[in-house]
Amino acid sequence: MTDSQQAGINAGSRAPELAVTGIDPGPVRLGDLAAGGGALLVFGSEECPTSALALRNLGPLCRSWEQAGLIATAVFEDPLEVAIRVARRFGWTGRVVSQAPPYETSLAYGLLAVPTTVLVDRAGIVAGTVVGWDQPGLLALIGQAAAMLGAATLAVPPPVEPRYKPGCSSKAAIDPEIAAAISSQRADDEMEEMFERGWTDGLPVVPPTPERVEAMLGGADGSVSLGFVPPSMGEASLERVAACAVLAGCRPAYFPVVLAAARAVLDPAFNLHGQAVTTQPAGQLVVVNGPVRRAIGLNSGMGALGPGFRANLTIGRAVRLLVTLSGGAMPGGLDRATLGHMGKVGFCIAEDEETSPWEPLHVERGFEAGQSVVTVIGSDAPLNISDHRSRTPEDLAYILAWAAATSWSTNWWPLAEPSVFVICPEHAEMFRAAGWSKQRLREFMFDAVRRPAGQLRRGETTPFVHAADPAAEVPKWASPDAIVLLVAGGEAGRYSAVLGPCTGMGSQIVSREVESG
Amino acid sequence: MAWVGRDYVSPFDERVRAPEPLAPRPAGITGRAVALLDIRKNRGSEFLDRIESQLAAAGAVTTRWAKEIFSKPAALALVDEIAFRADLVVEALAD
Repeated sequence: MTDSQQAGINAGSRAPELAVTGIDPGPVRLGDLAAGGGALLVFGSEECPTSALALRNLGPLCRSWEQAGLIATAVFEDPLEVAIRVARRFGWTGRVVSQAPPYETSLAYGLLAVPTTVLVDRAGIVAGTVVGWDQPGLLALIGQAAAMLGAATLAVPPPVEPRYKPGCSSKAAIDPEIAAAISSQRADDEMEEMFERGWTDGLPVVPPTPERVEAMLGGADGSVSLGFVPPSMGEASLERVAACAVLAGCRPAYFPVVLAAARAVLDPAFNLHGQAVTTQPAGQLVVVNGPVRRAIGLNSGMGALGPGFRANLTIGRAVRLLVTLSGGAMPGGLDRATLGHMGKVGFCIAEDEETSPWEPLHVERGFEAGQSVVTVIGSDAPLNISDHRSRTPEDLAYILAWAAATSWSTNWWPLAEPSVFVICPEHAEMFRAAGWSKQRLREFMFDAVRRPAGQLRRGETTPFVHAADPAAEVPKWASPDAIVLLVAGGEAGRYSAVLGPCTGMGSQIVSREVESG
Repeated sequence: MAWVGRDYVSPFDERVRAPEPLAPRPAGITGRAVALLDIRKNRGSEFLDRIESQLAAAGAVTTRWAKEIFSKPAALALVDEIAFRADLVVEALAD
């Protein structure tokens, strides 16, 4: 059916410009596609078996056509991610572009059916069209392209059966409501609905159905309020916190930990308001201690600061969703972070109390070892500290401590707010073997990192440095108490880390016990 | 796209708050009480010093105030006191 009226656009007409999206940034222009001699547009859609037939049989030829100056482009009536997946699955080696409803390009070409193959010459004039799978028709069209390019021959579709197969209706040719219903972005796709509602941090979420929220609450009264979440002061009802936990992907067993973290970040001493809106990168680090770690599968071992463990990732994420959705601190909105860091998606770690030679964080903070406790700390991203060669605790402590010298800024000394050191098991073992207490390590680190005030007076520095005698030794931290020590990580590998502070806003570390159901 | 017919628990606080109306704008500043609020960011007070001298030259009566810390909302008592004593407020940002 070459040049058939069914194509809606006839040979000799000017080919309409494309309104499509490609994988590369920037607009896709027909003139660019045809500039080498000609463009072959193959309109298709995911749901159409005839489109699949065309893609499968024409696809392997595209590369050789492109070398001869004919750029073949599959123009899908589907989202780009669907288009790319389908095209590559069928061996299409040409370009791939996508149209969104209402499929303006298909409309402009008067499409009634897909596949429709349109040959456009260098001047942007339609040279011919073929509707449906029509192997002889396509053979003739490719011959026409070869003549257009001045090429001796172009590879042609193989004589496979069936030689003819009718196409399917173009989505541009059917009622928009029906098109939406059969689109991959259809209105009953609840995952897409979550994005439409803005109930996300940019990643897919679990839709908070009443059933899921009820399961998360575990019988608790959802109307109970924990207070108001800054900066927008949305009310943190238990139901809303549970909705955030569902969205984040938490299991109901994690909810007591999420609740303890929510109570902790809402404590005015934590100053969530400042942290939520600051231009600093700071996020809310959640540290979990006590028996609940093992009970819910929190990872404190290999990859303790990284991905792979549902409890860690979703608990941290639930807290951040509470801040961003219920509290209104969406990045780029009220969250004014210049850069932010990936820990702001969610950052929940557990201490490896069983490996640690020291009392765990929650015991230091006045809780019993058998209590489960969440501690929240305003925190920057982790900086890795590699040390495989130190052979004395003094050398290792020196290396660890000096890694933090550039926390916040090279010359911003002293820091009043806490820096969190996550000490790996092999490093911790060196301190254990030498009989170092946590306090001894902390004081050694505090004493180790000092510089004369005169050397710190370059660029931005603190009023403290400006006021000090140039020869006076200024410590990196205002006191040893600003050094928080945790043990976590894999049993092999001498890598610890330091997380710089959220600075200058009086944020304190806050701990809350995890209340059992 | 319109989403209908589905029931979810919203993470948003869906209450609609009425916008606060702006206070009436004064015709001039001569004789007016102007509160200068330092939020305590770096060099904010220098900015207020300059503003204060210009306001004084224009006949305003200035008073100086400061928040506890820049990163927290002003205490309600401070807001109430400024509202009681001043006709106008200049709040200094910083850096």
